[in-house]
Amino acid sequence: MRAGKANLALGLGAALLALIVALIWVPMDTSTGMIEKMRRQTNVGDALAPTLAAAFILIGGVLVAMLERPETARRLSAGNLSFLLQLLGILALSLAVMRWLGPAVAELLTDTGYRPLRDTAPWKHLGFLAGGTALVAGLIALAERRLSWRGLLIGAAAALALIAIYDLPFDSLLLPPNGDV
Amino acid sequence: MGWLDYVWMGVLAVFQGPELINLMGLPIPVTLAMIAAGFLLGIAVGATPGLAGPMAMAIALPILISVFGFSPDALLPVFGFLIGIMKGATIGGAVPAILFNTPGTPDAYMTTLDGYPMTQAGQARKALRVAHFSSASGDTFSDIVLILCAPFLAVLVERYLDLPEKTALLILSLAFIAAVIGGSVGKGLISLGLGLLAAYVGTGEDFYPRLSMGTQTLAQGFPIAAVVLGVLIIGEVFKSLEDLWSEARNRRSPRPPITQSGDQRLRWTDIRRLLPFVARSAVIGTAIGALPGIGSTLAATLGYTTGNTRHARSGARPRFGEGAPEGIAATEAANSSVSGANLIPVLSLGIPGNAAAVFLILAADTIGGFNPGPSVFRFTGDVVNPELVIAFGLFTCMMIANLLNWTIGGAFMRSMGFMSRIPKQILLPVVLLLTLTSIYVQETRMAAIWFAIGFGVLGYLMRRLGMSPLPFVIAFILGAKLEETARQAFAATGGDPFFLVSSPIAALFMVLTVGVILRSTRKSKDLPT
Repeated sequence: MRAGKANLALGLGAALLALIVALIWVPMDTSTGMIEKMRRQTNVGDALAPTLAAAFILIGGVLVAMLERPETARRLSAGNLSFLLQLLGILALSLAVMRWLGPAVAELLTDTGYRPLRDTAPWKHLGFLAGGTALVAGLIALAERRLSWRGLLIGAAAALALIAIYDLPFDSLLLPPNGDV
Repeated sequence: MGWLDYVWMGVLAVFQGPELINLMGLPIPVTLAMIAAGFLLGIAVGATPGLAGPMAMAIALPILISVFGFSPDALLPVFGFLIGIMKGATIGGAVPAILFNTPGTPDAYMTTLDGYPMTQAGQARKALRVAHFSSASGDTFSDIVLILCAPFLAVLVERYLDLPEKTALLILSLAFIAAVIGGSVGKGLISLGLGLLAAYVGTGEDFYPRLSMGTQTLAQGFPIAAVVLGVLIIGEVFKSLEDLWSEARNRRSPRPPITQSGDQRLRWTDIRRLLPFVARSAVIGTAIGALPGIGSTLAATLGYTTGNTRHARSGARPRFGEGAPEGIAATEAANSSVSGANLIPVLSLGIPGNAAAVFLILAADTIGGFNPGPSVFRFTGDVVNPELVIAFGLFTCMMIANLLNWTIGGAFMRSMGFMSRIPKQILLPVVLLLTLTSIYVQETRMAAIWFAIGFGVLGYLMRRLGMSPLPFVIAFILGAKLEETARQAFAATGGDPFFLVSSPIAALFMVLTVGVILRSTRKSKDLPT
């Protein structure tokens, strides 16, 4: 895709998004219009501000499509998308471990399940430690293009350090996923 | 009560605040300790390529709030720590730029041009001393301008601007930010519009939270920490990780050590030679910093270019780019003098001009009891205005941080060279886990983490498409305020649909708004392709 076309695609994409927001999303998903008349008083309705936001996106999109200099054009490559997919895969996997490992193990090993144990060590640290280690080790492996024991150790050390910073000194702070379960 | 009484109360609020420890009968106020801790942490963070002041501020904020709570007593210790980080990171950024040709912060790039050649010539410690002297000078000058200007500007705003004018001023500021950041007005406006749109999800005055698609998750709106940290910090981490991923195949071998020799001290004759460059750049940086949205990178570039012109005219050697201390002085004075002046729009108008200011507003918003904006500077005669006391306490914190900078800052900065050796591929994943954890700790729901990752992807895409994320963040923060002011102005003018142009000042602001956009558009068109 040539530079000028990249700007055209970005500008038109933004303009299309703005039109969808202003003509479909805002009218269908707000309960008052742009201007409301109640008891002889005229007030600004809930739809006005998001419509103006869409207007900014539309004007920006038109400017990018029509007036932008080609040398400012940037486009996403297949490499960018491939990296993003791998990154999101690692994040999804490690956050799933963080969220579900504690409840799953508690379900297997105890009669009560995770909820009564979520404020008790080591249960409250289990998901965070495993998920945090997986997240850091996975991203180090992604950046270095190889999985290493060093990455796993650094991940575990980072997760333990965060437990020490947030959980040990403060009773009121909850580490993930203990606020959700 | 006169203004001097308020100044004194601000100073006392810092020194007579809660006590941290008692050292042989000498009480150490907690605010003082927090400024020092923030300042030293800031230098370490600035000296670490891949980390930045706003990252440390983001991660520290939930911890600080857990420690100090939500009472007004928490404001000054938290502000002190954040200001310490902001100032420390500014000088710390010069360390890897000079020692390893790697700018610790983006605005230290120009420092590499003369700093690294000085290191290669065996003058690394002298280059660090020049950077520290210039940075501390520029920073102090900028703070003095802030202290003198912000109250007067705020009083003028309160006296002459009514609701329609304030609405127009907010629109002008947002348009200005969109037009000047990133060099593309079109992309700036898209970023701005997206930020406003995100701010309006799950809010509104009706019982049904608008744009929530009927879901409970969106009905609560996007958590501010998830949006701001997602776009600013997580987006940057994603981009930097990808850069490492791309570079992984052709890693450079480590550089051989360079032997340092010769006089490494900064003599009075050196200072006399550097002062004109420092002074010029400090004025440039302060003027740029006072305008919301224009960052320290532009200030550094302008300071360096102006200094270069004067230096070339004098015919002095070495020239800029060949290891001239004047080059380091011109850059560091300019980029450091932005930080104080950047708080002028925050304190006088309530408009954040950069990422560090965003976190100060975030802290104020979370703790409560202090709403940055013109109403802070109400010099009430009979009843004490606690916000004004906090404002002068904030100024006191800044001056204490400057004092620390002049006394221990230089030595600590010179000892931080080892921070540049921490590999980014280890640092960035740890920063990501730290950021996600700090978001969860504030919001205590996994949805906040998913939102943060979603906004991180948005921040990554914006960066890859050459779109600055700062207009997005500033618009997100100001979105509610803009709507609220517009609603009040509309009601106060009896439902006048032309309230934005019905008074001369509001009309002038709106003309300037259109002018700023058109001028930026014409500039884009006229530049050679």
